[in-house]
Amino acid sequence: MEIKETAVAGTLESSDIQIMVSEGTNGIAIDLQSDVEKQFGDQIRSVITETLNKLGVTDAKVKAVDKGALDCVVKARTIAAAQRATDTTDQPAWEVL
Amino acid sequence: MENAIVDLYLNNPQVKQQWRDFLTSLDITNFNDNEVDKIDFTIGIYDGDHLVATGSAAGNVLKYIGVCNKGVTPGARFNAIVGELVNRLFQQHVFHQFVFTKLKYSESFQHIGFSELTHSDTAAFLENGSPDVNDYLADLPRVAEQASRRVAGIVMNANPFTLGHRYLVDQAAKENDVVYVFVVNTDASLFTTAERFDLVKAGVADLTNVIVVDGGEYMVSYATFPAYFLPTPDQTVRYQTTLDARIFRNVIAPALHIQTRYVGSEPVSRTTGIYNEVLQAELPPVVGVKVVDRNTTAHDDYITATAVRRLIRDDDLEQVQALVPASTYDFIVAHKTVLQARIQKGMNIDGN
Repeated sequence: MEIKETAVAGTLESSDIQIMVSEGTNGIAIDLQSDVEKQFGDQIRSVITETLNKLGVTDAKVKAVDKGALDCVVKARTIAAAQRATDTTDQPAWEVL
Repeated sequence: MENAIVDLYLNNPQVKQQWRDFLTSLDITNFNDNEVDKIDFTIGIYDGDHLVATGSAAGNVLKYIGVCNKGVTPGARFNAIVGELVNRLFQQHVFHQFVFTKLKYSESFQHIGFSELTHSDTAAFLENGSPDVNDYLADLPRVAEQASRRVAGIVMNANPFTLGHRYLVDQAAKENDVVYVFVVNTDASLFTTAERFDLVKAGVADLTNVIVVDGGEYMVSYATFPAYFLPTPDQTVRYQTTLDARIFRNVIAPALHIQTRYVGSEPVSRTTGIYNEVLQAELPPVVGVKVVDRNTTAHDDYITATAVRRLIRDDDLEQVQALVPASTYDFIVAHKTVLQARIQKGMNIDGN
């Protein structure tokens, strides 16, 4: 699936993550800002990449500001942002969860 | 609900007074009409009757952010306010935002996803979202083996492109392998951004080593240097130009291997005069500054775009011909009525 426009999901509240997805050309490029980057940075990145790949998104720039989100939250915010960015919110991708 | 975010309507005098008092107590004291009138919306958090946090947005610039942390977890209200501002801008499809702030708050913004473009001793300038400065720089055209070439940069508003601008570009083109001409992107001049850009392109079309590019939001834009477009006290001009100069020195110049910045000497405009001074103080030794004396007409008058605009207003196109290249002159002749209509509608032509 192709990213048509920039889109965002999530907030900066504690335990949430804000994910911005925009057009990219060079695979999934993630710019992550997190207080627990050292401990969970790789994990957060792999959840985002995996979720996008499952949605069929292979090229995207992702900016993520993490405030201690659990994996399920990272996944949900990624799906929401990606579906907004691909203009497919009318077809929720349940199977990706 | 505790910490609920509400809209503040500053056109209500009572609300505005309370907002001002709160910000003043936090040492934010510049309530110039210039600044306040630009605000698109303002939000706040109340604790009982007391305003305890506020923030505003003007275009894609966050402004007047003030937070009182008494009795709450430090940072919670700040995150709530900035998060809400950013989210509202996202909803308006403004995905790229700026903030000017005191240096001591830079870290707080970085903590929620902003990245610092540059800072001075007192102030910091940050951006958030996409496309960011790296995207901007990646999109600019480059030449082969640019790192080993002599590369120069010029920033101009060119409102419109005159023989004075041409003279400056000529000097730079003679002394360098590659010259970047950054055209100011902000649309606040008599000639629109697209018109200015096209006239610069046409005016230097015969120079093969000149690359004309959009200055984006990083060079003399409303975001970085509002004083260029608005009457402003000297001290503010200095503070804004320092940040503008440092972005050029630390971010733009290294990415393009620019070694020299060319500027025209400035006998007339006070703002541009200060800008040149600050550039000379800030850029070297990383980037050299070359001040080229202004080109003059046969009668020893300085060529300025301001003079051209006044002649358009006075319907004296014959005199314009001596000040601008043929491409600019043809454009002015073809669009005379449109330009004059803009002036009549109140477009300021005496500024920059």
